[in-house]
Amino acid sequence: MRTIAEINEKISCLEAVVWTVEELKIKVSEIGVKRAASIVDVITTGTFEPMEASGAMINLGQTDPPIKIRQCWLDGIPAYSGFGAVDLYLGASQSPDNSDNEQGGGHVIERLIRGSSVEVRAMGQVTDCYPRRLLETTITRDTINQFYLFNPRNLYQNFIVGVNGGDRPLHTYLGPLQPRLGNAVYSNPGAISPLFNDPDLQFIGIGTRLFLGGGVGYVAWEGTQHFPLQKRLENRTPIGPASTLALIGDAKQMNARWVRGCYFKEYGPSLMLGVGIPLPVLDERVVAQCAVNDEDLVAPIVDFSIPRRIRPTFGLINYAQLKSGKIKVEGKMIRTAPLASIHLSRQVALELQQWITAGQFFLTEPVASIPNDRPFLPQDVSQLR
Amino acid sequence: MKKRLTLTFPRRSVHMPVTYRLAKDFNVAANIIRAQVAPNQIGKLVVELLGDIDQIEAAMDWMRSQDIGVSSANGEISIHEDSCVHCGLCTGICPTEALSLDPKTFQLKFMRIRCIVCEQCIPTCPVQAISTNL
Repeated sequence: MRTIAEINEKISCLEAVVWTVEELKIKVSEIGVKRAASIVDVITTGTFEPMEASGAMINLGQTDPPIKIRQCWLDGIPAYSGFGAVDLYLGASQSPDNSDNEQGGGHVIERLIRGSSVEVRAMGQVTDCYPRRLLETTITRDTINQFYLFNPRNLYQNFIVGVNGGDRPLHTYLGPLQPRLGNAVYSNPGAISPLFNDPDLQFIGIGTRLFLGGGVGYVAWEGTQHFPLQKRLENRTPIGPASTLALIGDAKQMNARWVRGCYFKEYGPSLMLGVGIPLPVLDERVVAQCAVNDEDLVAPIVDFSIPRRIRPTFGLINYAQLKSGKIKVEGKMIRTAPLASIHLSRQVALELQQWITAGQFFLTEPVASIPNDRPFLPQDVSQLR
Repeated sequence: MKKRLTLTFPRRSVHMPVTYRLAKDFNVAANIIRAQVAPNQIGKLVVELLGDIDQIEAAMDWMRSQDIGVSSANGEISIHEDSCVHCGLCTGICPTEALSLDPKTFQLKFMRIRCIVCEQCIPTCPVQAISTNL
């Protein structure tokens, strides 16, 4: 029907027809898959949610005399330095060494992207090549060589719904869960979310260009815990956490509106991130897959009161019910709240739509596919004798 | 009429049965929204007074004469629009549904009139966008 080259040609002539995935779903219900596919060239998806498996690579630039950093803190948050002399990796969920300060790596990443200055304190290993022992300085994103997000796991294809069947409040990565099924929290924005609209990752692969934190990013690899073999419905969408992607993108071009440090009480810091993926309408299959609605997507309701790897569940619930604000669990109506921002997820899809419509963003052909056969291995602790 | 007030009690007035006096002397019903009271400490009370307008005015004058601080600048929850990401996490724990998500736009809505200033939303907000002035 179309090739990516043809779509890019249309984008450069400002003639491409770009719909957000929500616009597409409405159009398909009005005119059907075939007609919609004949009109639209690109479909934009989006999400804005906490993604703690994220972090920033930073190269400070070398000092005089030079230093081989072995320990380092950025605004008091430890950064990993076990590679090149002034290469650092700042993890989004990293907490300060010993403080209850509700700040973490995600907040420092946000501050750098905002253009604010950040204090660096580093200790070096003295060698003949690198004689400096200590470094204390201030950096901004403009005074460092490289500053890019390299996120080992983003864009979980579906997730879970958290509840608490116990009798004490729990503080979780889904926020507070109140006892005796007091509330439920879901964390995926549902039918607008990128990977629900390409369930088998047929049109997304390594090298796919995307919207990452308000800048341009790419799919770097499969994400950690990538689990495409999760059970799936007939529409191929998974019934629980499934595929994931590792993403990379230049943080110097990002916008702090889409990269927000966050903190979950008595759990720790994280990073909320806006990510949008454009899907090229190469044929009708793309449109048919993107027509999936919240009613067609389900997630498992998981009881966090049993702190084990496999927690008991209360069955599956669809996203339309979750978004209605109330669900029934064990005969009891309980209130639901999202953790992904559905409002900002839509804004991501709209922003990406504007970029493409304005001829500022072009689609890429993936250079390799994401594996579709990864098992999900547990780590069973072997007994010491 | 209804009037929401924040009352500040100096230590020597903490023992006074204020809501009883409001009811008995002024025919004013005091609905306690929030209280911070402990022996020998300055106390704070957020109340909603229900009664005749003149009676409420008279009750406020009487409380002032008893050295009780009367302020209509209520202890209130405020949402910082620039920080809020509309994730909605607060809406699941708000006991009165003063915080809710608009079913169409999924933007956070705050109905001040329903808020009882329980403050459970404050530590729940992952981006520290909610605060109180109490």
